[in-house]
Amino acid sequence: MDGINRKERAGRIERSGVNRRQFGTLLAAGALVAGSGWPLPASAAPPVLRVRIGSDIGNLDPARIFQIENQTVATQIFNGLVKYDEATNAIVPDLATGWEISGDGTVYSFALRGGVTWHKGFGPFTSDDVKFSFERVLDPQTGSSYSGQLASIKSIETPSPDRVVITLKEPNSGFLHKVSAFNQGWIVSRKALGEIGDKAFALNPIGTGPFVFQNWAPGREVKLSANKDYFAGAPKVEEVQFRVIKDETAAAIALENGEVDIFFGLQQPEVIQRLKGGGLVTVLDRDANHTINLVLNTSIKPLGDVRVRQAIYHAINRKALIDGFFKGTKTEASGFLTSSFQEFTDQVPLFPYDPAKAKALLKEAGVGSFSLDLVAPGANPYDKIVVPIASDLAAVGIDAKIKVLERGAYLQARNKGTVPTCVTGVVGAPDPDSPILSLFAKSSFPPGLNTAHYEGIEDMIAAARQAQGDAARKEVYGKIQAKVMGDVPVIPLYADHLFIAHTKKVSGFVQNSLFTMSAYPVSLLEA
Amino acid sequence: MDRLLRQLSQLAITVFGIVTVTFFLVRMIPGDPAQYMLGDYATEEALATLRAQLGLDQPVYVQYGLYVLRAVTGDFGSSVVTGRPALEEILFSLPDSAILAFAGLAVAVVIGIPLGILTAERQGSWSDMLIMIVALFGISFPVFWLGLASVLLFSQELKWFPALGASSGGGVLTHLHHLVLPAGVLGISVAAYITRLTRSAMLEVLGQDCIRVARAMGVPERRVVWRLALKNALVPILAIVGVTFAWSLGSAILIEVVFSRPGIGSMILKAVSARDYQLVQAGVLVLAVAVVLVNSLLDLAYGLVDPRLSTR
Repeated sequence: MDGINRKERAGRIERSGVNRRQFGTLLAAGALVAGSGWPLPASAAPPVLRVRIGSDIGNLDPARIFQIENQTVATQIFNGLVKYDEATNAIVPDLATGWEISGDGTVYSFALRGGVTWHKGFGPFTSDDVKFSFERVLDPQTGSSYSGQLASIKSIETPSPDRVVITLKEPNSGFLHKVSAFNQGWIVSRKALGEIGDKAFALNPIGTGPFVFQNWAPGREVKLSANKDYFAGAPKVEEVQFRVIKDETAAAIALENGEVDIFFGLQQPEVIQRLKGGGLVTVLDRDANHTINLVLNTSIKPLGDVRVRQAIYHAINRKALIDGFFKGTKTEASGFLTSSFQEFTDQVPLFPYDPAKAKALLKEAGVGSFSLDLVAPGANPYDKIVVPIASDLAAVGIDAKIKVLERGAYLQARNKGTVPTCVTGVVGAPDPDSPILSLFAKSSFPPGLNTAHYEGIEDMIAAARQAQGDAARKEVYGKIQAKVMGDVPVIPLYADHLFIAHTKKVSGFVQNSLFTMSAYPVSLLEA
Repeated sequence: MDRLLRQLSQLAITVFGIVTVTFFLVRMIPGDPAQYMLGDYATEEALATLRAQLGLDQPVYVQYGLYVLRAVTGDFGSSVVTGRPALEEILFSLPDSAILAFAGLAVAVVIGIPLGILTAERQGSWSDMLIMIVALFGISFPVFWLGLASVLLFSQELKWFPALGASSGGGVLTHLHHLVLPAGVLGISVAAYITRLTRSAMLEVLGQDCIRVARAMGVPERRVVWRLALKNALVPILAIVGVTFAWSLGSAILIEVVFSRPGIGSMILKAVSARDYQLVQAGVLVLAVAVVLVNSLLDLAYGLVDPRLSTR
């Protein structure tokens, strides 16, 4: 095509003005939309609490529940015999109004609250439901991951509808933790399970809690409505919506724009800093019930030598990790328990950052340079924190190789028990047995979480069960912590912190250390 | 009739191929659905019980055989996570994805085709250069980046549109309000493709003898471009739209994640990480059928645009 032709054609188009007009119309439409402001819709009249969750739910059946999003939704629906006080972690009454423990510590008799009814007309709550709930978890047919938690139960009797008597095989001073309102401690209705069925119950749960399950829109939201007949009084909001927003930045914008009221599962240091800096919302933080640990497999050379493990501990600059990578949103841990446990002690052997000492210990152990795989799941922040750790280890002559595996592959590798290291945290209730048994008992050897293959405290675990009274418990658990931290089957990289942000409209919110939240005390102020 | 039958048999073969490939592909990923469902504290007995319940203890070829037999009867199994029929779950989120994909495609067509024609029309001019450069940027920038940038600008700074790409309740207007950003971002990134491809299709037609003859006969240029050339270029343009539909469904997965929008994309993503085999299979199947169906419809549409094609 020649130049003249093109110019001519261009001229015709100019004259016809069609395209200009089209563009003009588009621009005008854009300006109209922009100018009109098209405001964000205000929240509707009945008080609805909108909570961000980072991932969709999948199973709300207490016998099979898992993952913080499921547990958070279930927290609103179910009660336990007892529960953790949200602020102090002390064990307080829930469906039981009181309890008596026999002198030898094997018989627990609970007096149950009267007049409690199940959601959606499933009748009154009775001692039979308690018996059913716990026996269901224990039944191998149920396939509950929590059957081990209740394994000390010998029998459950129901002398009357408002009394349940649980006999243990042997004294277990931590038994109340096992029947606290969390996972296996949540009580379900025999009648509801019978009518709804085992499978369907997972997403059609019936509880006695402050909110009633309404519906679940996959990938979008879970809706709960207020239980007007709740035994402690009706909740202050009519409805709770748990909305799935994966990306934390998007969730932060949604919170600041008032599209959600509570930001649950706030974890990214940058987002935390941003929300704190913005001043538009309230950011709460609290020590979690878990530490994140680098597990060292003692069955693999040269990690079998305690000096090598201690050298690795000395070699890692944990403070730099917390200040640099986490921007101070985590705290340094002295041991594998955090200060939110009643049994916590910081009187344990410490191995502060000291590369020279690390080198000396390696020399003493007769280990020259060796290579070590750092195995981590491909999830934030675990896939990133192994990088500074690898460089710290390189500085003392350990050739650390980073192996980040996708979650499924990671679990498979860890379950085999052949990985030399892995990153593990035991998230859950402030029950010291939970991390101790999971991480350090022989019964938890892979496929359990004792990837360290550690067996240094078997006798102490038995002693802890027998210890009656707070002082005795504190003493024996203190010994356990000291022994484990001296043997270094795990290196506590940091004590986790839980962050939750909410708008200024939210009032009465109490942050717990369970990595869940309760909507019950919350009310919404007029904007 | 023959044509329809041929289309249907093509559809069946494609679907069978896709189901088979997906079936083996998802089983090649390491990781155990039972472990995922029961979590870190699962006992070995609990895992074994669950695997047996899910039929995962059988050899893979037995699982495949059973799957195909059931699939023929319309049973695509149940999600291992929720226990609900997999196809039902996928179809539940189909409307969300379809609305996004079609809205995005509509935006793309409305922007892309006129721009493509315009640039072909003015080949070599500054406006052609400018639009082509912008289109190149549109193709080069990943759609999730465009999404995040638009959230920061239009949602955080200007507060015109919500950051969340889906509303909970509310009327049609509220839903549309939530849809503007995701559909706009998807549309703009797809429009860049359509512009470039429309431009080449138009250029090819504009260089043909019939156009020269028309011009020589003094047919007004506007008529030459918008009637004669466009009509001839419509078949390749339709083909482009068909191809970009598959592409926009793919991008919709990223858009869904950025804008926290429910849909098949985010559901498949979740299912893959949970090793929810049945859900992944059902999801990929529905997506594949959607793409094949749209392309088949376009095939039929060619006949309307160009009668020569319908007699073949």
